Amino acid sequence: MLGEFEYLMITAAAGLGDDAYGAAIREEIAATTGRKCSIGALYTTIDRLETKGLLKTWMGDATPQRGGRAKRMVRVTPKGVHAAKDFYDAVTRVSRGASWVANRTGSAS
Amino acid sequence: MTSVGWSLVEAAARLLARDEREAVLGDLVEASESTWQGLLGVLGLVFRREAVLWKSWRPWLAGFGVALPSSFLLMGVSLSVSWSYLTLRCPELLQKSSLTLGSGTIVLLCKALLLIGWSWTGGFMVGSVSRRTLWASTVLCYSPCLFCLSRFRVESLSRFCLLLFLLPAIWGVHQGLRISRMKLSSAIVLAVAITVMMLPAWNSAGQHWWSPPRWTLDWALCWPAWYLVATARRASSKAGLGSGDGLWSGHQEQQTGMS
Repeated sequence: MLGEFEYLMITAAAGLGDDAYGAAIREEIAATTGRKCSIGALYTTIDRLETKGLLKTWMGDATPQRGGRAKRMVRVTPKGVHAAKDFYDAVTRVSRGASWVANRTGSAS
Repeated sequence: MTSVGWSLVEAAARLLARDEREAVLGDLVEASESTWQGLLGVLGLVFRREAVLWKSWRPWLAGFGVALPSSFLLMGVSLSVSWSYLTLRCPELLQKSSLTLGSGTIVLLCKALLLIGWSWTGGFMVGSVSRRTLWASTVLCYSPCLFCLSRFRVESLSRFCLLLFLLPAIWGVHQGLRISRMKLSSAIVLAVAITVMMLPAWNSAGQHWWSPPRWTLDWALCWPAWYLVATARRASSKAGLGSGDGLWSGHQEQQTGMS
């Protein structure tokens, strides 16, 4: 099963679609979670997910706003989508009845 | 980011692989990170990359199992070779020893060949087992050398005679980086030749009651040669015996990269 940060990364990359690359994923994670993500954590997690076959990466084009440096583009594989869905389902299931869930079915207040 | 600060970040990023360096520096420019944040980010990534390598047993074996102990032992062997050479060159010393010119030459030749064989196989193993942590093995090899060089005081011998092992060792490392595994037959010939050359030395060496038996030290230097046999055997049994006609095999493994 995925870790929390791995799930965040796959979800951010999937949301960005064809524009998913290192800096954009970092920005997306920071914007949605309010936490800054280090470059070290980002790239080691990308590598780990790629080794597991959950992501595919390749070197993209260089752009002037990056000082002429190339991007490392990221795409979520079908296996990655499946793993993220499994993680989401597990979190949803385990959260049923938790006090912080708005439409909970449990009795805790 | 100032130009000096950016130069620092770029220098730190040189420790990363080329593609990764390109992506990371581009990300830093795009995110307009400060020098300090950029430097911390790059160094953090370098540290994480290095930490991943050290999770494996390979760098530990190469550094602390071969480079460090072999460095001490091979300095001793280098000194022994130099002393044997000096004995042959000096008639008074030759007379004091129980050797004749002929037997002394054979002993010197044997020791020199053993020194080359031990150093080369140790270097080959370090280079092939852990190429990406070679810097650590190099530090572990050179530290004892510098320590001993600073303390070596023998009038008739230059202190650099301690470092005779370095040339074949560097050659071995170079070969180990280029070729990941030896062909089984070559590895067996090398290991057997080294082991056979060790045998006469066990009888000739004078022992003190407190010193470890000579053969234990010799085996400490010899085991990399047998390790190469074991890895070559495993590789050949995987690939099917008889494949590859050259002296070496394992170019494919080198391309895929070992730790």
